[in-house]
Amino acid sequence: MGVAITRQWTGYAAAVRLGWAVSSNWTRPILFIVYSVLRPVSMALILAVMYTVITGNAAATRPYLAFLIVGTAFWSFIQEGVSEFATGILEDRGRYHILKYSYMAPLGFPIFLIGRATSKLASAAASVVIVLLVGTLALHLDISPLRVDYPLLVAACLLAFVSVIAFAITLSMVLLAGRDLHGYGEIMAQFLYLFSGAIFPISVLPGPIAWLASLSPLPYWLELCRRAIMHGQAYLMFPNLSDGEVFLRLVAATAGTLLLGYVLYRMADRRARRLGYIDMEANW
Amino acid sequence: MARTHHPSSDTSRLAVETRRLTRVYKTRRELTTALQDVDLEVGEGELFGVLGPNGAGKTTLIKILVTLLLPTSGQAFVDGLDVVTDYKRLRSRIGMVSGGEQAGYGILKVREQLWMFSQFYGMDSTAARKRIDELLERLGLSDAANKQITGLSSGMRQKMNLVRGLMTDPRVLFLDEPTVALDVSAARDVRSEVRRWMREDPTRTVILTTHYMQEADELCDRVAIVNRGRIVAEGTPRALKQSVDDDVIVDLQLDPGTPVLDRLRAIEGVGAASVREEDGVDRFSLMLADDGVLPRVMTTVEGAGRHVSGLVRRQPTLEDAFVKLVGRSMTEEEA
Ligand SMILES: Nc1ncnc2c1ncn2[C@@H]1O[C@H](COP(=O)(O)OP(=O)(O)OP(=O)(O)O)[C@@H](O)[C@H]1O
Ligand SMILES: [Mg+2]
Repeated sequence: MGVAITRQWTGYAAAVRLGWAVSSNWTRPILFIVYSVLRPVSMALILAVMYTVITGNAAATRPYLAFLIVGTAFWSFIQEGVSEFATGILEDRGRYHILKYSYMAPLGFPIFLIGRATSKLASAAASVVIVLLVGTLALHLDISPLRVDYPLLVAACLLAFVSVIAFAITLSMVLLAGRDLHGYGEIMAQFLYLFSGAIFPISVLPGPIAWLASLSPLPYWLELCRRAIMHGQAYLMFPNLSDGEVFLRLVAATAGTLLLGYVLYRMADRRARRLGYIDMEANW
Repeated sequence: MARTHHPSSDTSRLAVETRRLTRVYKTRRELTTALQDVDLEVGEGELFGVLGPNGAGKTTLIKILVTLLLPTSGQAFVDGLDVVTDYKRLRSRIGMVSGGEQAGYGILKVREQLWMFSQFYGMDSTAARKRIDELLERLGLSDAANKQITGLSSGMRQKMNLVRGLMTDPRVLFLDEPTVALDVSAARDVRSEVRRWMREDPTRTVILTTHYMQEADELCDRVAIVNRGRIVAEGTPRALKQSVDDDVIVDLQLDPGTPVLDRLRAIEGVGAASVREEDGVDRFSLMLADDGVLPRVMTTVEGAGRHVSGLVRRQPTLEDAFVKLVGRSMTEEEA
């Protein structure tokens, strides 16, 4: 058992190195600045400017501005993370013709996928901090590292991390089981954006969609991030729920995501093998 | 050529076994039966060849055996494990290399990429590095070890991929056309390395597909000839050649002119006929029931106004066995 875990770990570490070498942009500063700094920061600022123009930056609307900035900051993690999984797997199949060999390897395929995306996830995490920093300075948000509720923030982020990874792994497999699904990873991330409570509360969505969105862990995660960082100065989506209640919902939604992700992954894996898509090469 | 490898005497242990293995591909327009009721038994320690023309179903067979593709019906076992239900356990015991592709992350260095894959197989890091260097050296790739994969010739890439397959010491190694598109000397390197790798441990098994007759003949302990998804014959290359021993095989060389293949095939006593064009002349290969058929062949050729520039009687090859079984040559398109 111990040996098996050590092997999985070294396999994972090799996949991290692979992802780092093949698709990480840390090593290319310009790319890093464009994708991990400029893109998320400008996304946040555009929203902020639009918002300010519309509301005239009235004092009463400041909590919503905080809502927006924290939401987009953490959102960039999902955007980058999810699309990296999806692009990585399709590139390995269509461009490098090597996916079938990683897939066949004894290292669990999900572990390979996580390793392959790890360095991108790390740069996405860096951009969260950068957006928050820029938001604080440019928009005079009242964020102080000394007053952050770190235990709550870390616990919430860990659970969200697990959900996002599970979602990304399943999405990768689903894309693999499809014929020509380039770009769908990004689209899926955009789609989630609307349902996550990143830029507006999910309660403004039409009834059934709001209900669906409430099953996702993302709104609870973002809510907890806002509470932990802004300590009451950001607009809240669930003002009637205590921190503990929101956290419980995050736990439940995470468990649900894991279960659903597992079932869908198994189905997609089988479909991909049934159709012979693991090594399909026609889509690059 | 001396066969350097012999099937282990313990035939009770099968490396590969298939039972009525069938695979149908469904596309929007049609159904293609790539494998039909294939029954195969390969013993541990064998170097087994799957020989067949384009589209015969060779790659499909390999893909099923390495767990990349599910069969439509039937069963397959590798090293005793069911490829459909026990695929996770199976993966540490098998390896696969496809010849006709340029797999690899261009940006990585040869040694670096190989090492990464060794880690996906749970190899000890130091042992893996040693093994990789050893195999690179044997295949003449030592100088390329620190080169980026983009900088390799396609033949070097193919050899690098062979190293990937060999280094993890699989129980059963699947090679899908490992020498396709290689020049003569590189192909020789690959063949001798495969043989040497098998000698290292006599329980290792290799399943190799090819459409080179000579490769199958020289390299393999046993060969299955597949055509249109079915196994049409199986045996040692020697036994397969003996199946045409009773026939008279002649090579007939004709200067260009009106087509005569169909007319030759229509002659009574001509078991099979095939033709390939080489250096501007048509080389026919004819399988005759006995010497008495030859005069009728000459009459037909002269009747068609063709000029005979050469005629030899020769020993049967695997190609002849193939032609007799399938009714056409390996390279000839199906009518
Ligand atoms: N993904 C697929 N979808 C539909 N048909 C397929 C697919 N893959 C293979 N086929 C068909 O199945 C048959 C067998 O193909 P396969 O690739 O197994 O042959 P092969 O013996 O490996 O040929 P080659 O020598 O050209 O590599 C062919 O008729 C081929 O067109
Ligand atoms: Mg093939």
